[in-house]
Amino acid sequence: MFPPITLEILVLCLGLLLLLVESFTNNPDKRILAKCAILGLLCLFIGSFFVEGNPALESIAPGSFWHFYSADSAALFFKRIALLTTVGVLIMSMDYQQVLAKFIPSSRPGAGLGEFFCLPLFTCTGLMFMASATDLILAFVALELVTISFYVLVAYMRGNAATLEAGVKYLILGALSTGFVVYGITWIFGLTGETNLAKVATKLALLEGSDTAILFSLLLVLVGLGFKVAAVPFQGWVPDVYQGAPTPVTAFLSIGSKSAGFLLLLRVLEPFLGVASIQAKVLCILTLIAGATLLFGNLAALTQDNFKRLLAYSSIGHAGYLLVAVASIGTKASSFGSIGSTIGFYLFGYLLMTLLSFLVLNIVSIHSRGDDIIQFNGLAKRSPFLAYALLASMSSLAGIPFTVGFYGKFLVFAQAINAHQYVLLALGIITVAAGFYFYLRVVAAMWWQDPAIVTPIPISPLTKIAIVLLVAGIFIFGVCPKPILTLLSPLAAL
Amino acid sequence: MLAFGVSVVLNRDPVASALSLVGSFLCLAALFVGLDAFFIGVIQILVYAGAVMVLFLFIIMLLDLRAEKRRHFNRLALAGGGIVSVAFAAELIHVLAQFPMGHLPFRPLGVEKLDDVRLVGTTLFSNFNLPFQVVGVLVLVATVGVVVLSRRELK
Repeated sequence: MFPPITLEILVLCLGLLLLLVESFTNNPDKRILAKCAILGLLCLFIGSFFVEGNPALESIAPGSFWHFYSADSAALFFKRIALLTTVGVLIMSMDYQQVLAKFIPSSRPGAGLGEFFCLPLFTCTGLMFMASATDLILAFVALELVTISFYVLVAYMRGNAATLEAGVKYLILGALSTGFVVYGITWIFGLTGETNLAKVATKLALLEGSDTAILFSLLLVLVGLGFKVAAVPFQGWVPDVYQGAPTPVTAFLSIGSKSAGFLLLLRVLEPFLGVASIQAKVLCILTLIAGATLLFGNLAALTQDNFKRLLAYSSIGHAGYLLVAVASIGTKASSFGSIGSTIGFYLFGYLLMTLLSFLVLNIVSIHSRGDDIIQFNGLAKRSPFLAYALLASMSSLAGIPFTVGFYGKFLVFAQAINAHQYVLLALGIITVAAGFYFYLRVVAAMWWQDPAIVTPIPISPLTKIAIVLLVAGIFIFGVCPKPILTLLSPLAAL
Repeated sequence: MLAFGVSVVLNRDPVASALSLVGSFLCLAALFVGLDAFFIGVIQILVYAGAVMVLFLFIIMLLDLRAEKRRHFNRLALAGGGIVSVAFAAELIHVLAQFPMGHLPFRPLGVEKLDDVRLVGTTLFSNFNLPFQVVGVLVLVATVGVVVLSRRELK
């Protein structure tokens, strides 16, 4: 047993160490760095099951980091999600490096690739701190660490015009959303004189006659976090940035950034929902955002021909389902567990299926020079293994029974019924139907179209293992979700 | 300060814009000094008006200034941006008008003079040590990013 903050410190040290090794060695093959990072992260993932919990509230010294940091089960769960995502991203990056090398101006082979394998570790540190933050200051600093490392990663292939466009768009909109978050935090601080969320909650409940000001501060933070989790109407950047960024970074953005964003959203919302006089209004805002996100993400995906763009809209759509769960907060607990555990489970499922589809997309696009759906034509003949893997992830994303995607959606809808959010429920069911069309269109292309290129696709052993594990995870946890829910069960009601 | 801020946005000449920004920073520093926060006032001048602005001016000198003059603005985008900012300002004013704490005068300080350098130091390095360390990582990532993205040819 060791203190939980060791996890973050070790990820950070691993990142620093690899950066140093990278700069002092001349080995042109940088993949060894990624392999070390993957090994280290997997060790830490196992280690995360052996950390101590929070200390007793009375025993915390005045200057201790425990005022900012919490290691409750939600935090640990999201740390594990961050670690696994980073591992997946690094596996993808190793395959992707040949594309990357083409678009980086370098004087000798392998130059500039090492940093691409080290930076995700720093992003991971940020995500892990974000998962543990119980203080707005730490939450903000961690959020910035994540965002700034993403600015670099998104724009990494600077020889490619689409990537540069994505980088600039992400930078400008990211900076804008950061501005909103900071402004919201200053309002919260101005109202309560506190940045610790638990203390903010007690102070907010005591404030009287400042409902508009409280709502305004929450709104500002919601705008900022809305950008991060890709909620409508703050989703404008998503399709272009997802399409332009290097594929591993897109996967990282869509899983890591979103899951940490949702945990932060829940933590920030908690003190505000404790104020009885504004609770109905907050839920109304959340319901509107959730409904709009569901409709936009799923309906706009119907006409997409580019698979990466399709996944971008799908990412918005899934943010919509998660927001349906968020908008169902505040009623009595249902028999399906707390909202927090529903969101945790959904995000875990989302991790499995999205990572799997990006892994397959990554390999296919490297070998067919493009990521349009046409490139997937006849994939069943070229590489049955990849085709079946993609079939698994697409059916899970669409929500076919016996997959994690189905059980996640089932939990979300159960919470919506429990909270009497019938409009959102209806929207959810309509959009699931839309989802079936656009996810299964890819499946149709793989089986019913003839391939333009017939050469089989080589798959590296590490990627193969990752794909097999992810497919297994999708079905195992879809049939028997108990282990994940037990990990999440001591979660506070939220 | 507000006038300088407006002229940052309205000026077409980047150098004039940057100098207005310096003016805005100086006024902000004056505000801090007026609130008896001398240390923050001084830091504001040293860091923002000094270091950050010099960097801005360097970047402006490296850019092609004529490109900015040739640029035309999209009317629709301009109108949209205008509407959003006016709506935001109106909302802010409305919230402030309804906000009871907004009408209170500042409370006088308990002590005549604060030892603000020491206070900022102890708060930063003892109570807020963890976020401070994370900022260190952030700066490292930014440095690595700048090197990776801006070198003409990576070695």
